[in-house]
Amino acid sequence: MKTIVITGATSGIGLETAHILAQQGFEVLGIARSEPNSMQAEEKILAGNPKAKVTFFLADLLQQREVVRVADEINQYLNDQCNGELFALINNAGCVRSWYMTTDEGYEQQFALNHLAGFLLTYKLFPALRKAQGRVIMTGSESHKGIKVNWDNIMLLRRYNPLTAYKQSKLCNILFAKGLNDRYSTAGIHAYVVDPGLVYTDIGNKETGGLVNFIWSLRKRYGVSPDVPAKTFAFLCQQEIPPKGLYYCLCKEKDYSRQVTSENANRLFELSERLCDIRYGKV
Amino acid sequence: MNVMITGAAGGLGRALANECGRRGYNLFLTDINEDGLLCIKRGLERQFDVVVATAVCDLTNAESVDKMLDMIDQHGICFDMLLNIAGLDFEGIFMERDREKLVKIVLLNSAAALRITHAAINRRRSGKPFSIVFVSSLASMFPMPLKATYAASKRFLLDFATSLRQELKRKGVSVLTLCPGGMVTTQETMSSIKAQGFWGSITTNPLESIAHNTIDRVLAGKSIYIPGILNRTLSFFGKIIPRSWVAAMIYWRWNKVQSRY
Repeated sequence: MKTIVITGATSGIGLETAHILAQQGFEVLGIARSEPNSMQAEEKILAGNPKAKVTFFLADLLQQREVVRVADEINQYLNDQCNGELFALINNAGCVRSWYMTTDEGYEQQFALNHLAGFLLTYKLFPALRKAQGRVIMTGSESHKGIKVNWDNIMLLRRYNPLTAYKQSKLCNILFAKGLNDRYSTAGIHAYVVDPGLVYTDIGNKETGGLVNFIWSLRKRYGVSPDVPAKTFAFLCQQEIPPKGLYYCLCKEKDYSRQVTSENANRLFELSERLCDIRYGKV
Repeated sequence: MNVMITGAAGGLGRALANECGRRGYNLFLTDINEDGLLCIKRGLERQFDVVVATAVCDLTNAESVDKMLDMIDQHGICFDMLLNIAGLDFEGIFMERDREKLVKIVLLNSAAALRITHAAINRRRSGKPFSIVFVSSLASMFPMPLKATYAASKRFLLDFATSLRQELKRKGVSVLTLCPGGMVTTQETMSSIKAQGFWGSITTNPLESIAHNTIDRVLAGKSIYIPGILNRTLSFFGKIIPRSWVAAMIYWRWNKVQSRY
């Protein structure tokens, strides 16, 4: 049984993806922020498929020490139960904020959760991914287009705009995937970004206020159900031979921003290593 | 430039620490939260090429402050700027609050600010200008029923800073009082601002630009900084309308908000 880790697996796209993958015979390890939510999600996944194997781990991925702690727990579990192999890591957890807010490290929260948390978690689970020649999949967004990374001010400490911060964090997702492929595709590790499209979830209504909350309430009504992007995640996990593309939508390859270059990917990789105080190391 | 920040592990303190780090200032951070202090130190050192020193300290405890000052003196640290950020607030009806917790508001917001200001000015770098920022509040402009202790403790800072400024004017010390409206620093402040509805969100100021402007203004020798045109207008009316009327109006409004919150 192949094992998959999904972050933000209690609602929206993450829950639907966990559901489908569990149905298709993967063992799912979900990461959730609160216990009641994780229990609800577990129930929902098991409801359609009582034989599914689902385990939840609790962590607030905004804080780096929590990422490290939960990764240690998962590694322990993988070593005990899964022969130390992780077939796929889905960095799906993400947030939207209305205001400039910081984590305990003083990092801007959208950048910290949408990009850095996944960067750090991937690093911590890397030995298990490597052993299984695994895949890393990020939940991206079409909104990564039409923006550049603000290298001198990546936390957007000047003139904070919530949408800019979100777009930039999604561009970082795809740059990270590119960086992983550049470095480790020869070692058998492949990274992808899924564009979910406009999906009916509550991402813009959680811990936001004012304009952001209002606009998202209107906008999400035109969104598709979360099981649409979930199928693309499942598609990327099911292929025996790792697909060659980088950016996928509706199970098909899609064009991405011209900002996604090896140079930018490398630059982000190095910056993120510094911000997490880690070193990914050579193949 | 060496900057001391109290309450550095919290929202505004953290934002100001980031702002100072960005400007390349070396930082001495203190907070009662040891874990938070370590985290922000780590974050700053990874982002900026600056020296960050930290000390866990309970500013309401004279012994704890003395211990920190001993440590500062042992290392011969001198300061160019002090940002008095540490403060706390428990909203609500006076008689429904715990007695000692109320006293603690005054001990931290007012008394501890005096203690640390006195100590820091004594350790200023000789022959260089020195800057002090007090974080008062929009609440200091009015008597505030249901936030009575908090507003009074912030009023204390405003009046104290205005006087201190005169005393130190010719000694190269610049004193700025920051009087912000609401700021979204934590999940709790966010929900309390939401509970205040329309007025809550329009008196709310963006944290990052407050941090930026505060440093700019204290360096430029300004005396007071009220972020936002609306907040400046409100504070103007606070000065011309009789204080008892203001208190009655605020009581009426906060009472409504509290029932919703």
